Amino acid sequence: MQCPSCGATMNRHAEKPIKGHAEDTTHYDAAIGGTVAAIHTCPGCGKVATELEPVRSA
Amino acid sequence: MNEIRPLDIPVILGTTRKQRMSFHAARFVYGELQKRRGVVTSLIDIGELALPVDDAGEGVKDARFSAAMERADAIVIVSPEYNHSFPGLLKHVLDSCLKEYIHKAAGVVGVSAGVFGGARVIEHFQPVLRELGLVSIFWDVNFGGVDKVFDPGGQLLDPAYIRRTEKFLSELIWMAKVLRYGRDNVPLDKE
Repeated sequence: MQCPSCGATMNRHAEKPIKGHAEDTTHYDAAIGGTVAAIHTCPGCGKVATELEPVRSA
Repeated sequence: MNEIRPLDIPVILGTTRKQRMSFHAARFVYGELQKRRGVVTSLIDIGELALPVDDAGEGVKDARFSAAMERADAIVIVSPEYNHSFPGLLKHVLDSCLKEYIHKAAGVVGVSAGVFGGARVIEHFQPVLRELGLVSIFWDVNFGGVDKVFDPGGQLLDPAYIRRTEKFLSELIWMAKVLRYGRDNVPLDKE
């Protein structure tokens, strides 16, 4: 992911489970029991961004 | 390690009550942080945020508080102990953010009129910090008998707190540096 503030390549350093949201069929992961948000940080300016992980097949 | 950006470590004053002695503790820690080279800090009074209380998370998020948490490399939470735990409004404010906290350091300063110095509120905070993605340090500052630690004008009466706070901040800054390096440079391992 590119930083929306400064354009640098962001580092994907965490995944945070967010329980529930079963209605989100694109992102709901039944194995986790929720969606998973990937956390990205920009090494240039410190900006934080998230993106929901798509569902992975077992 | 990125040495260009100074570490950003705001101090959060976690109570809105009138005549709150935690204000003196927060201002003292804020002042000690200002003395650290390579650190920028600010004092955030949750009483100035005025978050709605009829919703949560993104529904009540304060843009300035969110931006401050995003900029932060670590946070200091100054919390009084009310009936053995933290103020509900402080929890409400902290819960308004999430991604902003991930893999950042947190230190808790406990304040109480009694002898335990907020030890119980600091313990109560540990599972909350973990769920928010914050990394707790093992040094605390306990302002017990706080009405005797500061005079009514906020002047520190017990110089031992200078040494205790120095240790607390050194650990917090170390953790903030390490976690910034990790956030900036160490990707999550993929199977």
